[in-house]
Amino acid sequence: MSALLFALLVWLAAWALNVWLAGSPVAKTRFGKALVPLIFGATLLVLWEGLVRGLGIAPVILPAPSAIAAKIATSLPMLWQDFAQTILKGAIPGFLIGSGAAFLTAVAIDRSPFLQRGLLPIGNFVAALPIVGLAPILVMWFGFGWESKAAVVVVMVFFPMLVNIVAGLQASERMQRDLMATWGASYLQTLVKLRLPAALPFVFNGLKIASTLALIGAIVAEFFGSPTFGMGFRISTEVGRLGLDMVWAEIAVAALAGSLLYGIVALIERWMTFWHPSQRH
Amino acid sequence: MSLRQTVLPILTILAGIIVLWYLAAVWMNSTWIYDQAERAGTTVSFAEMVPQTMSLDRPLLPPPHQVGAELWKGLFGQAVTSKRSLVYHGFVTFKGTMMGFGLGIIAGVLLAMAIVRFRVMDMSVMPWAIISQTVPIVALAPMIITLSSQLGLSDRDVPKAIIAAYLSFFPVLVSMVKGLRAPDQMQLDLLKTYGAGEAATFLKLRLPASMPYFFASLKVAVAASLVGTIVGELPTGAIEGLGARMLIGSQFGEPLIMWAALFAAAILAGLLIVAVGIVERLARKRMGVPA
Amino acid sequence: MKKLLTAAALAAMATAASAEDVKLQLKWVTQAQFAGYYVAQAKGYYEEEGLNVTILPGGPDIAPTQVMAGGGADVMVDWMPSALAAREKGLPLVNIAQPFASSGMMLTCMADSGIKEPKDFADKTLGVWFGGNEYPFLSWMSQLGLKTDGSAGGVTVLKQGFNVDPLLQKQAACISTMTYNEYWQVIDAGITPEQLVTFKYQDMGVATLEDGLYVLEDKLADPAFQETMVKFVRASMKGWKYAEANSDEAAMIVLENDQTGAQTEVHQKRMMGEIAKLTAGSNGALDVAAAEKTVATLMAGGSDPVITKAPEGAWTSAITDKALAE
Repeated sequence: MSALLFALLVWLAAWALNVWLAGSPVAKTRFGKALVPLIFGATLLVLWEGLVRGLGIAPVILPAPSAIAAKIATSLPMLWQDFAQTILKGAIPGFLIGSGAAFLTAVAIDRSPFLQRGLLPIGNFVAALPIVGLAPILVMWFGFGWESKAAVVVVMVFFPMLVNIVAGLQASERMQRDLMATWGASYLQTLVKLRLPAALPFVFNGLKIASTLALIGAIVAEFFGSPTFGMGFRISTEVGRLGLDMVWAEIAVAALAGSLLYGIVALIERWMTFWHPSQRH
Repeated sequence: MSLRQTVLPILTILAGIIVLWYLAAVWMNSTWIYDQAERAGTTVSFAEMVPQTMSLDRPLLPPPHQVGAELWKGLFGQAVTSKRSLVYHGFVTFKGTMMGFGLGIIAGVLLAMAIVRFRVMDMSVMPWAIISQTVPIVALAPMIITLSSQLGLSDRDVPKAIIAAYLSFFPVLVSMVKGLRAPDQMQLDLLKTYGAGEAATFLKLRLPASMPYFFASLKVAVAASLVGTIVGELPTGAIEGLGARMLIGSQFGEPLIMWAALFAAAILAGLLIVAVGIVERLARKRMGVPA
Repeated sequence: MKKLLTAAALAAMATAASAEDVKLQLKWVTQAQFAGYYVAQAKGYYEEEGLNVTILPGGPDIAPTQVMAGGGADVMVDWMPSALAAREKGLPLVNIAQPFASSGMMLTCMADSGIKEPKDFADKTLGVWFGGNEYPFLSWMSQLGLKTDGSAGGVTVLKQGFNVDPLLQKQAACISTMTYNEYWQVIDAGITPEQLVTFKYQDMGVATLEDGLYVLEDKLADPAFQETMVKFVRASMKGWKYAEANSDEAAMIVLENDQTGAQTEVHQKRMMGEIAKLTAGSNGALDVAAAEKTVATLMAGGSDPVITKAPEGAWTSAITDKALAE
């Protein structure tokens, strides 16, 4: 019980520290921006450790962060192999192919409101096919390797990207389009110089959502058939073996990978859409 | 827009897809038929093969009429309360989706409001909210169930709703944060010149400005909630719901049941998104947002 | 009349009030593999013993051992390798009954893959389920001296999904099948037995004990819980013997309990017929020799044994002794 109280005290202290940091000039620096969430995250871990020790939770139900850290330290090669299989070979190719396909489709149907009115509802339908049902079918079609996982990711990522890019292509204002027309700009010039840049905030919104979907899609797809490595494989088998510390180790890797991906997208977004109001904070 | 303008494009694309689907079904199912013929020591001509691909028991890609027949049987061929009825299972999934969706909206909006209002929340919580989505829910689902049964909640609906809300709160959060920050500096300054306080600025400027983002996210969120509910049906015993039917169909070599359940789930999602769209249009009309 | 009714109502309430609640966690989804328990429920055997049994179906994302750890069930159906591995991990499970005397696990291969004997597995792709069912396979491969990491001269292992498509779609040379389920799915799909080469774990000498009833050791220390389990095992075995003798009726009972509506009569009747072969010869008591053989098989796993030391107290005959004494 004392462990729990200690953890709670630490959490409160850290929260006060964070409030002070957020209001101070440190918050404006890069260092400050990284420090605050790190403090928050660290205190969450302390709280977790306190809960597990204080309430005596069995390790087969919820392992303590210290046990998970120990597992990570001893299983780095396995974690790396799983990461390479699921993310580098499954999620990322799927993400790129799906986003690329969505982009081309959006530009293709941009000229034709007829196609838009037809394709978007149908795309809605396809996107609504639940992954739990699609994954076994795609594994059956594409085999057990990374191809089926990438296929699942493509299907998951395609429609959110399409919706966002189409919305983005319509985001440029009437006045701006008229201005381009007064300058005698062709369709392609208007597209490249006005409408695509104006669509970027929406595109990045979609990319951020897609990055997390890609990760989850690849992992879930592995539940339905995979070679004997990969993050989804590891998670599903270790749950069955009560190796919960390994499950959480994989979850930690997934979270790290997903955050990196999201961070990269956000960084590119900041660089390319510096002019949007939401970037000024 | 006239009915003809909305329906005709959909029908055209649909027709195109069905044609492609039939072609793909013939192509994909043909491998099995040729293999079977080889094993039996007979040969099958192309003309004989095509009709065979249309009525396999375990097709790799069932042609549209097979899926349609199974869907029809599931939707209209049984009493609505029978456990073979897709309507019954669809309703179970629908209930779970709505619970998760509601929970997700509340969580997403409240968190977004806190993040936009308090700098400390923005700096500390937002990165973790993002990271939360990278944690695969399929890994957490069994743990959520175990923990909730430890806490004495023997009802399976609550953990299912939590799992669904976990997936649906994030699109709402991201879009609301972007939306609540969408008013530009000129508009914020204008409200300051009116002497508007924080609450007034929020209610009269930020909230209305975030509506387009909010509704765009709702459609993604309701679909995510459905996905989450179906994922949640697996660790809760795969008893009822469309996810359970998909799983049993797949496990017991009844691909047609699986495909029918899959399409039923997609139809459910489609209906939900259409419903969300109608609510959106009504709300926007009332709020005076330009179309 | 009124007095009779009130008395009857009070008696009913009394028995209902004193009925003990038991939660049984199954290893997989509702199917004839668990017919004994459903039959016992439908025929009122549990009620006769004063038990109110809730049967919780399992599934792909459910690990029965974890449900037990979380207190979600009082007793579970699981395979011995999985229970022993969990015991070594710190979850003290104890076998209290063993309805399944023989193993139904097999490795089914397409004849045209060229496999005729186990040593032909080298350099082929084999499908295995995981989630507790991989232990017998890993032990066998280890005994054959075949590495399972996909290196040359070893076997490439695929984590099968929940159906037989990998074999049909030629993604694996062999897949794991149960005599009562997946094997028949392959036959149903149009493959004839002559086109298949099947290896039964029982015949290869690497079989392990399958469906058994397990509870947590600390709960077993409570005499009241012991009593409940004695009644439960007695009624369950009665259900099993009835199911063996009346397999079609048992199949229909299972079908009644399938809430997904996706199971079919044909599948379940056939499954029940096969399951009856596995439960035949067992009255519920664990055959200690078979249990020790299972332990030996698991520990013979070479460099990667499933369990590292012989388990102590992993099974008890205390419950079956009392249950079968009558």
